[in-house]
Amino acid sequence: MLPQAAEPPWAFGDAGGADPVGAFEHRFRAAGGEVVRLTGEAVARGWLDDFAGEFETVSVCTGVPDALQPALPPAPPSQAALGVSLAVGAAAQTGSLLLSSREGRQPQLLPPVHLIWVRAREVRPTLGGALQAHRENLPAVLALHSGPSKSADIGQILVTGVHGPGRVIAAILGADA
Amino acid sequence: MRVSFFVTCLGDRFFAEAAADAVRLLRSLDVDVDFPRNQTCCGQPAWNAGHVPQAREMAAHTAAVFADADYLVLPSGSCTAMLRRTYPRLLESPAVADRSYELAEFLVDVLGVTELGRGLEGRRLAYHHGCHALRELGVAEQPMRLLESAGADVVPWEMDQECCGFGGLFSVKNPEVSVAMADRKLDTLPHVETVVSADGGCLLQLEGRARRRRMRLRFRSLASVLWEARRGNE
Amino acid sequence: MSSHDYRARARRIIEETPEVREAVTAATRTFVDHRRDAYADLDEIALSGWAEQVKSHVLTHLGDYLEEAEARLVERGAHVHWAETASDVHQIFERIVREHGVQKVVKAKSMLSEEVALNPFLESLGVEVFETDLGEYIIQLLGEPPSHIVGPSIHKSLDDTRVIFHERLGTPRDASPERLAQAARGLLRDQFITADLGVSGGNFLVAETGSIALIENEGNIRLSTSVPRIHVAVVGIEKVLPRWADLSTFLQVTAKSATGQPVGCFVSIIPGPGGSPAGEPDGPEELHVVLVDAGRTRLLADPKVWEALRCVRCGACLNICPVYRQTGGHAYGYVYSGPIGAVVAPGLVGLEETLPLPFASSDCGACADVCPVRIPIPELLHVWRQRAVERGLSSSEERSVLSLWASFATRARLFGWAENVAGLVPQWVIRRLPMLRDWSSGREAPPADGRTFRELWDKGIK
Repeated sequence: MLPQAAEPPWAFGDAGGADPVGAFEHRFRAAGGEVVRLTGEAVARGWLDDFAGEFETVSVCTGVPDALQPALPPAPPSQAALGVSLAVGAAAQTGSLLLSSREGRQPQLLPPVHLIWVRAREVRPTLGGALQAHRENLPAVLALHSGPSKSADIGQILVTGVHGPGRVIAAILGADA
Repeated sequence: MRVSFFVTCLGDRFFAEAAADAVRLLRSLDVDVDFPRNQTCCGQPAWNAGHVPQAREMAAHTAAVFADADYLVLPSGSCTAMLRRTYPRLLESPAVADRSYELAEFLVDVLGVTELGRGLEGRRLAYHHGCHALRELGVAEQPMRLLESAGADVVPWEMDQECCGFGGLFSVKNPEVSVAMADRKLDTLPHVETVVSADGGCLLQLEGRARRRRMRLRFRSLASVLWEARRGNE
Repeated sequence: MSSHDYRARARRIIEETPEVREAVTAATRTFVDHRRDAYADLDEIALSGWAEQVKSHVLTHLGDYLEEAEARLVERGAHVHWAETASDVHQIFERIVREHGVQKVVKAKSMLSEEVALNPFLESLGVEVFETDLGEYIIQLLGEPPSHIVGPSIHKSLDDTRVIFHERLGTPRDASPERLAQAARGLLRDQFITADLGVSGGNFLVAETGSIALIENEGNIRLSTSVPRIHVAVVGIEKVLPRWADLSTFLQVTAKSATGQPVGCFVSIIPGPGGSPAGEPDGPEELHVVLVDAGRTRLLADPKVWEALRCVRCGACLNICPVYRQTGGHAYGYVYSGPIGAVVAPGLVGLEETLPLPFASSDCGACADVCPVRIPIPELLHVWRQRAVERGLSSSEERSVLSLWASFATRARLFGWAENVAGLVPQWVIRRLPMLRDWSSGREAPPADGRTFRELWDKGIK
């Protein structure tokens, strides 16, 4: 007998139902990610100019609006210092950002630093809920990024940035700072 | 209240005095104890090793020996688990299954004992939870309660629930791994002089290894320690 | 490598390379602690009950779900291949390699690919294969098989890695873990970019949407399945999940059980090829999914042990197993080790071929406590043990001893007499008796010279 699909919320403890953005931030940070909350595009623009200052080149996914693209010279993903993408969803329960391959994968994977924009209203409480929104319209890969790349395979010591980006920033738009 | 005592093969041969203590303990709680003379072995070694026909033979023998018992009390978690959990798979409706109890379990769950006495006041000891008692019978609280209410300081031991490595024939079929497991237990013991367990196999294993390593430790059956808890009153 | 040598290999590991026991014990203890923390506030019983039901359902309707998965994948333009044996898998790869002139492969960790010995086969075709999971890369350099389902190199220390990296990558002898990781990253990055083919396994295959799900922490799976122009996924047929809505729970449960994380750092959910056929800027233009049997339908048809196929490869049973942690996985001589290995190996490969694995357990039952899909491993071990005896695979010595034991144990007087006699046998003789000799190699024999309980009872217990 196949039981009902959606996991009962109580089975997974508090899935951040009351404050998904807060819960997302907590989990993303716990996994080693950075989070910045920006109330709107104007504030975001200011923060972005500041943030981009430390990088020389950028590779941007196609879905990122112009206003959210750093004013940096573009480079191929394999050479860019910074990759920028726009999440198509997020889940507070697991601290995950959903990324679509429709906007290009390589900028999300090859640069050592990855900036991911996400709209506050897209942060769902549960992973199931976040995935459900994409069921009918799956890209070639729907990816979950929940922190920087890491491994403890070398003598059980944690290192970051093993293959994927070692530094990942979730910039949440439309969140109370 | 009358119980039938199943001493178990290891108990009979290697832990006779401890088994006698179990009898003394039960009697001191106004329990009549009888000892059906034809008892032998519960059959666990055969079952564990996959020899089902032999296990069934011994189970049938044991079930017959104790057919008239109201309660069976055993100074062994693993043998109790064999009767309760495995006999129903070997025999048709074995009455003994539901009537079998490990000693501490019997005292707490059936007799309702909460405190035996204060005979263990100031005694520091570590308690090894045998796997069968712990996982097949769900017996863990009961020995703890009896020991602590008697004044014992049961010292926290991180690995107290980890298998000692006996596993019946496993101990001689894979002796190197078995000994390594015993070493893990012994190396992580807190600072105590006495280690207590309700299982004869575990005690043989841990004590056997400890003595080979010349470690200064005493190993005692739970039955004896509980009798001491009670006797302290007198 | 053969499982038959379990005892000898275990002994060698314990006696000659004690650092392996230390490394494996430390690593598994960490996993156990993290798993416990991850489940602390959760209703583990409800979760494992749910997961068990879903997996059991899918396994009992496997054919239907596999067909559904295939149909969805084909709709999206993926190539679906069915492989009954390892040899079939090889042939499929050979066709792809020849057709596309593949010279270099980047590989994500896949236990199934180890099962079917894919790497040696590819190499025999002249293809260069790079394991990209850091742990797999380390053991690839060392020429060793994986020793744990999730952490293939947990038996290796930092120093071991320093040595091999110094030799092969030229890093300093005292390189920090970060430096070593950077060296691997640099070298493998080039391989991702220049490889012709990326190979992955599959953690799950969602039937409803025909989607492969891959879980990882490093990013090597994302890269292996995104940069090369062809992606081949080898997926065991038992990996199917029925519905899209089941995926989120299984992703989380697997991550929590394996490492205590809420979810792996990266998850790739792949329903089809990418690149221009999909109207996307990049990604592999060809996706091949190889659905592999390799003994699974035989195991599934076995009414007493099919439950082992619910396994989600979290490794939790390995981590909790007090037997596994004394040696690590190499003692088992099979790609799957520890408790799950001991019950799955006889089913996939055959009992005779994988003895004595079902006996490489002290029966403690800890594994059953942690399995997120409630595989009754201790029961399954017993089934295989019984079958080993029934098929005459136990030693004659053991059979004799137990038969003798049983015949004595059903004759009370004889039993009592034997106990007394045993008490009279001197220690130096006991130490030399076949089974008891193995006791005495590491332990003192218990004193058996006192009175038996029977004697005490007869004398009257005061």
